[in-house]
Amino acid sequence: MASFSKMIPQQALVIRDGEKKELPADQLVVGDVVEIKGGDKIPADIRLIFAQGCKVDNSSLTGESEPQSRSCDFTHENPLETRNIAFYSTTCVEGTATGIVINTGDRTIIGRIASLTSGVGNEKTPIAIEIEHFVYLVAGVAVSIGVLFFIISVSMRYKILDSIIFLIGIIVANVPEGLLATVTVSLSLTAKRMAKKNCLVKNLEAVETLGSTSIICSDKTGTLTQNRMTVAHLWFDNQIYSADTSEDQTTQPFDQSSPSWTALSKIVTLCNRAEFRPGQENLPIMKRVVVGDASETALLKFAEVILGDVMNIRAQKKKVAEIPFNSTNKFQLSIHETDDPNDKRFLLVMKGAPERILERCSTIMINGKEEPLDSEKAEAFQTAYMELGGMGERVLGFCHLYLPENEFPDTYLFDTDSMNFPTSNLCFVGLLSMIDPPRSTVPDAVSKCRSAGIKVIMVTGDHPITAKAIAKSVGIISATSETVEDIAKRLNIPVEQVNRREATAAVVNGMELKDMSSQQLDEILCNHSEIVFARTSPQQKLIIVEGCQRQGAVVAVTGDGVNDSPALKKADIGIAMGIAGSDAAKNAADMVLLDDNFASIVTGVEEGRLIFDNLKKTIAYTLTKNIAELCPFLIYIITSIPLPIGTITILFIDLGTDIIPSVALAYEKAESDIMNRRPRNKRKDRLVNEQLAVYSYLQIGIMQSVGAFVTYFTVYAEQGFLPSTLLGVRVNWENNAINDFEDSYGQEWTKYQRTYLQWTGYTAFFVSITIQQVADLIIRKTRRNSIFQQGLFRNKVVWVGIFSQIGIALILTYGLGHVTALNFTPLRFQYWFVAVPFAILIWVYDEVRKLFIRRYPGSWWDKNMYY
Amino acid sequence: MATLNEKKTCSERMENFRRFVWNPETKLFMGRTLINWVWISLYYLAFYVVMSGLFALSIYCLMRTVNPYEPDYQDQLKSPGVTLRPDVYGDRGLQIYYNVSDNKTWEGLVTTLQTFLTAYTPAAQHLNINCTSDTYFFQDAFDGPNKTKLSCKFTSDMLQNCSGITDPTFGFPEGNPCFIIKMNRVSTSSREACSLLYKQGDEPRLLEVDYYPVNGTFNLHYFPYYGKKSQPSYSNPLVAVKFLNITRNVEHRIVCKVIGAGITFDNVHDPYEGKVEFKFKIED
Repeated sequence: MASFSKMIPQQALVIRDGEKKELPADQLVVGDVVEIKGGDKIPADIRLIFAQGCKVDNSSLTGESEPQSRSCDFTHENPLETRNIAFYSTTCVEGTATGIVINTGDRTIIGRIASLTSGVGNEKTPIAIEIEHFVYLVAGVAVSIGVLFFIISVSMRYKILDSIIFLIGIIVANVPEGLLATVTVSLSLTAKRMAKKNCLVKNLEAVETLGSTSIICSDKTGTLTQNRMTVAHLWFDNQIYSADTSEDQTTQPFDQSSPSWTALSKIVTLCNRAEFRPGQENLPIMKRVVVGDASETALLKFAEVILGDVMNIRAQKKKVAEIPFNSTNKFQLSIHETDDPNDKRFLLVMKGAPERILERCSTIMINGKEEPLDSEKAEAFQTAYMELGGMGERVLGFCHLYLPENEFPDTYLFDTDSMNFPTSNLCFVGLLSMIDPPRSTVPDAVSKCRSAGIKVIMVTGDHPITAKAIAKSVGIISATSETVEDIAKRLNIPVEQVNRREATAAVVNGMELKDMSSQQLDEILCNHSEIVFARTSPQQKLIIVEGCQRQGAVVAVTGDGVNDSPALKKADIGIAMGIAGSDAAKNAADMVLLDDNFASIVTGVEEGRLIFDNLKKTIAYTLTKNIAELCPFLIYIITSIPLPIGTITILFIDLGTDIIPSVALAYEKAESDIMNRRPRNKRKDRLVNEQLAVYSYLQIGIMQSVGAFVTYFTVYAEQGFLPSTLLGVRVNWENNAINDFEDSYGQEWTKYQRTYLQWTGYTAFFVSITIQQVADLIIRKTRRNSIFQQGLFRNKVVWVGIFSQIGIALILTYGLGHVTALNFTPLRFQYWFVAVPFAILIWVYDEVRKLFIRRYPGSWWDKNMYY
Repeated sequence: MATLNEKKTCSERMENFRRFVWNPETKLFMGRTLINWVWISLYYLAFYVVMSGLFALSIYCLMRTVNPYEPDYQDQLKSPGVTLRPDVYGDRGLQIYYNVSDNKTWEGLVTTLQTFLTAYTPAAQHLNINCTSDTYFFQDAFDGPNKTKLSCKFTSDMLQNCSGITDPTFGFPEGNPCFIIKMNRVSTSSREACSLLYKQGDEPRLLEVDYYPVNGTFNLHYFPYYGKKSQPSYSNPLVAVKFLNITRNVEHRIVCKVIGAGITFDNVHDPYEGKVEFKFKIED
């Protein structure tokens, strides 16, 4: 956990024995009094006993991007919520504080996260489980057939040594030697493809895991949202206007004709300390770097978009005095000259917490006119404030006052300490509310996940109201669904009386979660399809992930903060954000979204499902020819014909001709509806199911064997041994002492001549399997659709596979046909075509199978023939 | 199917397996209902019947297309193999060792030769005709009985001293043994197969031998061979070699090559193609 150790602060200022000492942070003990100031890293978990304007950046811990103010007041039961605790490894942004060390090292909050992260073991990935299952299956088949035929051959009076050789031959024929290569290549191909789409896959097998994901637990900040405060709504002239919150806004569409807006825009522009870093004029406004806090940045950019060059406007209206925002005043104030040379008045502008601003106002601006602030108008303000606040937005109030010229002439000296200017009886102008808006691609991605049967759960450290608002806007909570609280509010009954089953959505607070048993959590996860967890701690994220896994779900977790890393590790697949993500999160994750775009997850899911489908096709392809390699041995043992195919030849199929085609299937495009079906059930939908094995082994495999045997008998017959002569010849055939072995035509063969014919038989058998594997490759392109629906030429790599397959076979037979050790012979060319009718039969049979599957879904045929 | 990824005790696994074999609640036998088993079995039965039919049909077509008289190709039989009688194979090919004074060591060899020559008695050869011409015996028509072709007679008396008639022990006890060289039948209508026996030893000096028939030739009128169906009574012509004055207690390595048009003996992989190699040793 190198990234955790990087976070350790070097030095701490400690008061020991009445003296201030600089000590390495690792020498701190509980009870030490430490002093911190702006810029310091907090050296341990400390409880503050003195604080002055102290703010800490907890983003590495909780993911909240805003600096949080700290004081000596105990404000909350939860240590993560309360004001008087500062955490190890966070940074003090401003102010000073003194505190008592309450936890050090591994016992600190961050230390516990670190130990959680390293404590969560690496689970087996679903694809690893599937491959293991496949290995068991193949090994079972190989060993049982091998042992069966060992017994048969022993009881047929074969020598024990021969029987053991048969046993080995059968097992070799059954082992899919090339599969490991194929799986690895498919996974890396997909990983490469995903890297192009900005998904960096750290753990290859994770690619498939994403495809079988049934629940995504997503962090809010930075993943679903842009991680940037943006003005979302405005309220002036008794009306709420919405602003554009997209990533690349260039204009704002709301009505800007009202004189109230002109006044409001002036306040927004002037009462703001944020500034663009110089030299960014060519960048889009939204991408420019700003010096200032998040809200001020939002306001600055908002003004820049609407009004143009804000810095110039500010320069024209010279600032003469300013009071920056502080937590006691809860307002920010500045006084400016006007740019109108005839107007010598000063303009006082103020912004701050709406209720505090309203207290200081006596009038309100409606359509550019100041009107007295009566209770009716105050009521309207309250309604608007509540509404905006209810949307989870941070609301700011704006007011101004033109200072009368006679009282405040040009030369008047403003003193911000004595406040020799009015700060009450101002004119209220409007409200602006800001939110960290969702990324524009997220709603679409969430709905795609929905249609793919994936449940998206939001897990955030943020406030429930904000979380719910964002969840609603991205579709995690759909427009029509209600939480228990919503129903209670609509029916006007207490929350307890609401039938919990009626609520499809749920917003669960971290505090509630703390008191829940795992059964209660299971109940929530089961009964609600739309869930938001707010105010959650890292430990709780872990509990949520475990809860989801208890349901049998494959869980993906997205996150960026250090606080997310245990959950990222625990998840079946952890997805970290590449830009916003902390190193710890990236370390713990299996995948990194380089562009922080949630929509990439959908691509990942699609690729993951595709890889599972394609692996299925590859395995089906590979298994088929095992039967065509196995049957010769069995027939050889039972009927004592000359051996139709040798072990070396089998290896040349498994590791030669078949490798590129099976990799080519990894390039196959999705069949259809890949994103419209439910994620696979990891307990039921196996990679290699009964149907796949049975269809490959007992149907297509048998067809291939028949085709290959026809070629074998053709070769022997045309060279002199008719099929009837071949039965039972094994012992004499293999006898070295018989050099005048008689064939069907009375010709006599030496041992070598027979052996050479046997190799020709191997080659013919090999060529037939290769030719039929071409048909097998084509039929495996789809499992349900017709080849013509899928497109015969869409996957070019399959054609590379076919040509390579035939090319390798040609090289082996004609190029290496004279190397006796390889047991290949230059085969007469016509024998290449003997198996072609069987290849066509395989293809036609499979088309018919697929046709019936499409025609009669759910039928006996569908159940038994669809793999 | 039981999930294999979870650790289970043996009894749990057995229980799961028992449940898989017969599940009384769902009435599933090995994962299927009985009627389902019947259906699937019927399907596979039909499938295999069709596949067997296709296989039979293919073999039937194959049998219809192959030539019944001569094989379509002789890719492996470009040059005929040559064999030796008696044929005793050791670890590295033919090895004929015997002791003159121990008749148990050579009686077996003599029996082999006698048995081998029973196919060449006049009685066995009565279907074949006497040929006198010294040229190829080409036959385009089926002149023999039952639409067959005629074959030339080769009787054991043509081997004279090695016929086993005058000397039933083939000279083994005397230390002058007879060996019979046989060229494999290879069906061909065009092969130019004039043949002549030739021997070569490891030692620089030539061994003293007698050939029967004289000169060690296969008479051309035994060729060509038209195949079993055309010439059911055909028997291979033979050449016998009688070794004279053989050094005792020394292993002799002999190569007999058949010299003739279209016969090659330089295949490094096949020691019996166009030639026969053997070792023999006579002990006192």
